[in-house]
Amino acid sequence: MSTRSRTVTATVSIALLSIVALLPFYIMVVMGTYKNEDLFTKIVLYPGNYLVENFKTVAASRFDLAYWNSFVVSAASTLLSVFVSALAGFAFAKYDFRYKSKIFGAVLLTMMIPGQLGLVAYVIEMRYLNLSDTLMPLILPWVANAFGVYWMTQFIRGAVPVEVIESARIDGCSDLGIFFRIVLSFIYPALTTLSLLVFLWSWNNYLLPLIVINKPEMYTIPLGITTLGSAYRTDLAAQILGLSIGTLPVLVLFAIGSKSFIRGLTAGSVKG
Amino acid sequence: MMDVVKRKWAPYLFLSPYMLFYAAFGLIPILFSFYVSLTSWNGIGKKTFVGLDNYAFLFNPDSYFFTSVGNTLLFVAVSLPLQMAFGLAIASLLYSKFVKWKAFFQLVNFLPYIVTPVAVGLMFNLLFDWQAGFVNKLLLEFGLIDEGIYWLGEPMYARVVIILMLFWKGFGYTMIFYLAGLANISKDLHEAAAVDGATGMKSFWTITLPLLRPVTTFVAITGIIGGFQLLEEPMLLLGGAGMGSASAVIGGPERCCLTTVWNMYDTAFGSTTRYGLGAAIAYGLCVIIAVFSFVGTKFYREES
Repeated sequence: MSTRSRTVTATVSIALLSIVALLPFYIMVVMGTYKNEDLFTKIVLYPGNYLVENFKTVAASRFDLAYWNSFVVSAASTLLSVFVSALAGFAFAKYDFRYKSKIFGAVLLTMMIPGQLGLVAYVIEMRYLNLSDTLMPLILPWVANAFGVYWMTQFIRGAVPVEVIESARIDGCSDLGIFFRIVLSFIYPALTTLSLLVFLWSWNNYLLPLIVINKPEMYTIPLGITTLGSAYRTDLAAQILGLSIGTLPVLVLFAIGSKSFIRGLTAGSVKG
Repeated sequence: MMDVVKRKWAPYLFLSPYMLFYAAFGLIPILFSFYVSLTSWNGIGKKTFVGLDNYAFLFNPDSYFFTSVGNTLLFVAVSLPLQMAFGLAIASLLYSKFVKWKAFFQLVNFLPYIVTPVAVGLMFNLLFDWQAGFVNKLLLEFGLIDEGIYWLGEPMYARVVIILMLFWKGFGYTMIFYLAGLANISKDLHEAAAVDGATGMKSFWTITLPLLRPVTTFVAITGIIGGFQLLEEPMLLLGGAGMGSASAVIGGPERCCLTTVWNMYDTAFGSTTRYGLGAAIAYGLCVIIAVFSFVGTKFYREES
């Protein structure tokens, strides 16, 4: 086979395989553009003309509020988690202190513990602190993020030259000043990757809001999507459109940062 | 150590936010959960200390603990190998020099993995709805069936749908790990093999695949551990969030699709409020995951 025909064969076969990944999305989007009654009677293969009507139904359900809540939760989780992880990573990467390797080992060990282990007591703790039905319980667990500390330690160890730290210190810069002025400027790629990951994890979180949030005005997107189901039991098309709209931000975010994102996920699996 | 600056208080200061938040919202709940698991408690009334009764009850079929562990294992055991084979095939194609628009295809195939799990469950609920679902309509159209299959109402079919769903969601995840692994294999090896007359297929089986074994092991371990935390997808697929399907049954028809985390949620916060038993299920799950992690990391160390 010539190189050209191989290229065509390979590209066509990957395109066909990719249809497996895309088809459910396509059907979802297309179903959201039809009138509810039509969904039950015919096969929908191409977009219909009922999109605006369905959109009005979704908008009436205060979906924007769920969007806002999800955004607040994910943004706050991301900022706090990345900042706290970078600070701890700096300590592990560039300082020598007692029990350092033991403490680092303990942090790594907590990465292995499934998040559901303390869930029952966490919910009780939140009730006790009067934080149920606020967005706080959805943010707090992300602040101490063991993966973030591991990721930041590895990155800072390699990316921040110790000479730069030393010379800043000679110039009279404090340790905290070194972190803010020097370390952060060296680790932009790591900050981006970790931000994307935490934002996505937090955005997709369902179990915790399901348990601690009961007020509809505090719903996040995953909860909002599921209740679109019960509020419009008869309007399947509107539910499907809501599903598409709720999924959109994550897809966009990922499409923009996919490289940095994949680097974060595969970190540590393959030793170079 | 040359690389490390000596300062007495600074590192402790920098670690303190992490430590404080972990203690308050990680460690304390974990320890308190263990105490709760030794009690009988509905979250409001009085706690009664019952010792290990909750753990003993996990072995009683009425707790559905081992049923749910078995279901979860079944889903992982069938869907993970499929995900890995398909992910490897796509990764190999993407890595070959013959494919164009690599970044685009990589993105497309990875999308299912990052979609909100709740949306995945609902999406498949729609696709397999017996009345309005795309799958039944397609099968009817081609005359393969005479009347719609009740996909989500029969245990056997429901399990098939879950496995398909997990496969669809997961192959992009295995793909990116295989891509990272392939990028790590030296090109010289393939060139040397080509000089010795090995064809593409042969060099794949004798060079690429054995060298990818650490990646395969890693993906298998993380796939099993992640699989044990399965909740949203089956819950929304079968939980009757109102997307057309009739019944809102816990764990699907005959609890055939009840996963361990779903079981924990339902015990503590769902149809019953048995906090003690819920906490015991969480600890039971943790033990099972720990066993798999331990065995897995041992394998991984030996291979890499």
